[in-house]
Amino acid sequence: MRPPRTTAVRPPRTTAPRRTFALRPSRSPSARLRRTGYLFTLPGLAFLALFLAYPLLYNAWTSVHDVGLSGLLGGATRFNGLANYRATVSDPDFWHAARLSAVFTAGSLLFQFTIGFALALLFARPFPLNGLLRSLLLVAWLLPPVVSGTLFRWMLDGESGAYNALLRAIGLDALSRDWLIDPGTSLAGVVFANVWVGVPFNMLLLLVGLHTIDPELHEAAAIDGAGAWQRLRWITLPLMRPVSVTVLLLGLVYTFKVFDLIFVMTGGGPVDATSVLSLYVYEVFFRFFRFGEGAAAGLLLLVVPLLAGAGYVRRLRREEGAV
Amino acid sequence: MKPARHPWLLTATATLICAAFLLPVYWMLNTSLTEPDHILGESPRWIPAPATTENYSAALDDDALLQALFNSLVISSGVVALTLLFGVPLSYALARVRMRGSGTMVLALLVAQLPPSIVLAAPLFILERRAGIDDTYLGLIAADTTLTLPFAVIVLRPVLGGVPRDVEEAALVDGCGLMGVLLRIVLPLMVPGLVAVAGLSFLIGWGEFVFGLTLAQEPGVQPVTVLLNSFVGQHGTSWGALMATATVICVPVVCVFAIFQRFIVGGLTAGSIKG
Repeated sequence: MRPPRTTAVRPPRTTAPRRTFALRPSRSPSARLRRTGYLFTLPGLAFLALFLAYPLLYNAWTSVHDVGLSGLLGGATRFNGLANYRATVSDPDFWHAARLSAVFTAGSLLFQFTIGFALALLFARPFPLNGLLRSLLLVAWLLPPVVSGTLFRWMLDGESGAYNALLRAIGLDALSRDWLIDPGTSLAGVVFANVWVGVPFNMLLLLVGLHTIDPELHEAAAIDGAGAWQRLRWITLPLMRPVSVTVLLLGLVYTFKVFDLIFVMTGGGPVDATSVLSLYVYEVFFRFFRFGEGAAAGLLLLVVPLLAGAGYVRRLRREEGAV
Repeated sequence: MKPARHPWLLTATATLICAAFLLPVYWMLNTSLTEPDHILGESPRWIPAPATTENYSAALDDDALLQALFNSLVISSGVVALTLLFGVPLSYALARVRMRGSGTMVLALLVAQLPPSIVLAAPLFILERRAGIDDTYLGLIAADTTLTLPFAVIVLRPVLGGVPRDVEEAALVDGCGLMGVLLRIVLPLMVPGLVAVAGLSFLIGWGEFVFGLTLAQEPGVQPVTVLLNSFVGQHGTSWGALMATATVICVPVVCVFAIFQRFIVGGLTAGSIKG
């Protein structure tokens, strides 16, 4: 725990009502209460230790051993040092997947954040049916990814897909194609679907941020003759910076994780054109049963989310004073 | 923000955007209600006239789908139960009791949400098979709960911390036992948080795919998401039945969201930005 950092200019609050986290120490800190407290945490923590922490550690163990299908049945395994890591980083497919992950993540973040921001600006203004329409948008985010994937596979279908029909209807026949089968556009296709899933979530979080901006700032600027564009540029955008960074970091973690959507839409194909890192790990581990290498690749896959998570936690600490 | 001069203009804009955005969802319903003969082709029908339930009867005629829906129901209910069972005491202790290491625990719970499912699925595949709980509801429920539990605690802890301590103490002074405080004061105040966590856990369990794909080969336990995926592979072109299946899978999602909407949106934003 750190004491709240006092800065000259406090960043705008990112959440509506702030609740005190730093509770006063109980006036009579009885040892019994504390013991009950530990007892309360025990089942949950034991569960997470067993099903989350231990498997991840076991993964680390696997990554330095030569484990194949026979290892699954309890056969002999051999310590092989960093051989699995060497095999992974010298596999061109791994780097191909890493590049695809980078493009997929960057593309998704760029569009879902920009569109989400624009929608948040719209929905921050009061108008009839605001709440209803906003909730309708959220439905897109709540659908199981497998369903959204199936949906977009159908929407982007070559001959009978709705998007191609729309393109033909407005005279852009030349653009219509088999989006997910064409290796040149399949990655764009899965990014498109993922942006669709991500926009409502981005909008919702950014909306929370927009509501914390003091309306008097806008009123004062308007009286001083600032137009809508100037107020956006000089009031809204600077004040939204901390929230935006948080939303982007969260988006990075979530987007980097994506597996099901792509798996259902393309299965990584055509010819590995959409085989991002999570699909690469799946291939190595569950299709070729090269457990050692799969575990090593899996651990390498943790690097980006952990870095983003570290940034996220740092920001939380700065804003809340404590985590 | 200042009220707009023409609020209905904004409504019209937002409605148009929503309509364009939700086109895929409309298209799912449209296709599912269109006669199979009229689905494929260069000029699709924008309105299902005449509407037919043929696709639904074809989809629901398959015992595998009913079995998978049942499996998903069992799994997601199990996830909700396990999440609340572990999550409520854990978050209560973290919010209320000054313990050594509680800051570390909260941090660990934040970190626990970072690993991609596939990274966890790989070792779980080996470990669950060795423990003999692969291909069981229990194995899937436990795996899914690793996704929901950290999230639940992050959402619930601030809710519990928000209960004014003075109220609890006053109740204690007035002769209310510790159990009474929990049941009469704390629990009613945390109902919105509990509802949000239960609803979101259900949705996560219902939509989960990676663990279902990797930890269960047995159709008797596989969730409906895995079945839908294999349908896509097998009946690549019978889009009517596929969309009917997808719609059926969405029904509980939309119901849960419609009922718990307010709680879920609140809990979601609280869990993400506040931490």
